[in-house]
Amino acid sequence: MEAQGILERIKRIIGEADLVWIDDQPGDPYLVIPKEKLRRLAIYLKGDPHLAFDTLMCLSGVHNMGEQDEVEVVYHLYSLRHRHRFILKVKLDRPAVFPHFYLRVDSISGIWTAAAWMEREAYDMFGIHFVGHDDFRRLLLPTDWEGHPLQKDYQEPDAYRGTSTTREETEGILAEESG
Amino acid sequence: MPLTTETMVLNMGPHHPSTHGVLRFILRTDGEVIHRCRPDIGYLHRGLEKIAEQLPYAQFMPYTDRLDYLAAMNCNLGYAITVEQAAHIEVPPRAEYIRVLVAELNRIISHLISVGTFAMDIGAVTPFTHAIREREWVNDLFEELCGARLTYNYIRFGGVAFDLPEGFLNRLSQFLDYFVPRLEQYNRFISKNKIFKERLVGVAVISQQQALDYALVGPNLRASGIDWDLRRDEPYSVYGDLEFDVPVGTSEFGVLGDCYARYWVRIWEMEQSVRILRQCIAKMPEGPYLNKSKRKLKVEPGEIYVRTKAPRGELGFYLISQGGIRPHRLKIRTGSFSAMSIVEELGAGLMVADLVALIASLDVVAPEVDR
Repeated sequence: MEAQGILERIKRIIGEADLVWIDDQPGDPYLVIPKEKLRRLAIYLKGDPHLAFDTLMCLSGVHNMGEQDEVEVVYHLYSLRHRHRFILKVKLDRPAVFPHFYLRVDSISGIWTAAAWMEREAYDMFGIHFVGHDDFRRLLLPTDWEGHPLQKDYQEPDAYRGTSTTREETEGILAEESG
Repeated sequence: MPLTTETMVLNMGPHHPSTHGVLRFILRTDGEVIHRCRPDIGYLHRGLEKIAEQLPYAQFMPYTDRLDYLAAMNCNLGYAITVEQAAHIEVPPRAEYIRVLVAELNRIISHLISVGTFAMDIGAVTPFTHAIREREWVNDLFEELCGARLTYNYIRFGGVAFDLPEGFLNRLSQFLDYFVPRLEQYNRFISKNKIFKERLVGVAVISQQQALDYALVGPNLRASGIDWDLRRDEPYSVYGDLEFDVPVGTSEFGVLGDCYARYWVRIWEMEQSVRILRQCIAKMPEGPYLNKSKRKLKVEPGEIYVRTKAPRGELGFYLISQGGIRPHRLKIRTGSFSAMSIVEELGAGLMVADLVALIASLDVVAPEVDR
């Protein structure tokens, strides 16, 4: 099914309200949905025999700091049965105070198991909390790492567990050795 | 006195011969049986996605070599196609054929390492040296082509870095003539070896539903009997003009989706790659190897998700541009990542020695998991 046809089916199930369809930019069109509708829509996308999105190709976090400070979660879905794809986006506001209260979205790891690790990675890199995840913790970075590196305003810490993350100490040695 | 038994926690890795890089598994075992197996990854995390946001598009190409160092050409190709689609760069036909040629050659040597280490992991050391011997020949060919033996940085936006050297195609067909009987010999030695089969048949079966749920890709997906290949079903480059079959796992030798099926899919894929290479040699067109018209790379704002078929399955690049010379976001989705995530579910109930077979059969490469 074409993206437009999939969109029509989605509108029929969760209504047209608050859906934003972006297809005027180069590249792939996508649908922005309010986060409250995510889980319900995900169950439908997987279960409906005409859509049958059986695999989650990719789950990505994106941080935008343009006019608005917001974090997006992007879901690339694919149906092996029907050979069609669809892209969903959820946008989360990231206010200056207590951002972690706002970066919250339902976990879909119960629907597509592949999401379990992808969501952990998105938390690790962007600080997005996925509510309802079974085993929610960092994936790639150490558990005591501070901050979420793929946020645009991330400041690299000077040291980790007492070890400097820069090479300033060795620069002196290098200069000495090379005379 | 009653015999008390308790479970034991065992650390496997980060440095363990079977972990193919640096991986760690925390096992809770009851004797030889694993109760729970938790992968701990991230030891090779280099922040490639963050680096990509800070470099101009072309400068990220050498980093894609390090994404999966056993299949650097395929990673180069995936990234190049992504940026070309976003920036609308044309690729001349000769370059397309050269790209497919190097990608398939790289697939062969990547699978050679995979099946070679597979045998070594479960205790047969010699086959690895056989696989390495064949791979060495290809490394020589690649060295002749681009000067590097492992991290090639060969593919450019709009073509490839260098044309094929004089007589390269002849030497390539010599290699293929040598390689096909060697592969048969390899099958006689290892693939149909009784001990090898006993270790793999019926071990760690992945059902079709599990394979889809965990978004497995590449040989791991096809070994579960799902007939899906990007090269055939969503052809990119010149794969549409080439003839090849898609090997799918069968239950002929064991159980559909077991370690042995995954092993065979890789052997068959090598045979198909030889077929593709022969067609590339016959069809290689003359002409320019690089489109030099677009030296100033500009990507208009927008986003694109492109996937290509690397030896470890789909390699997806999700590129968001806001204009300018650097990507706003580059997400890399790799085959090893999803293959690693299934280990926890499959590992429970296996023997410790079978876990090694499972990891080897999934063909995970640690830098590709961690990025």
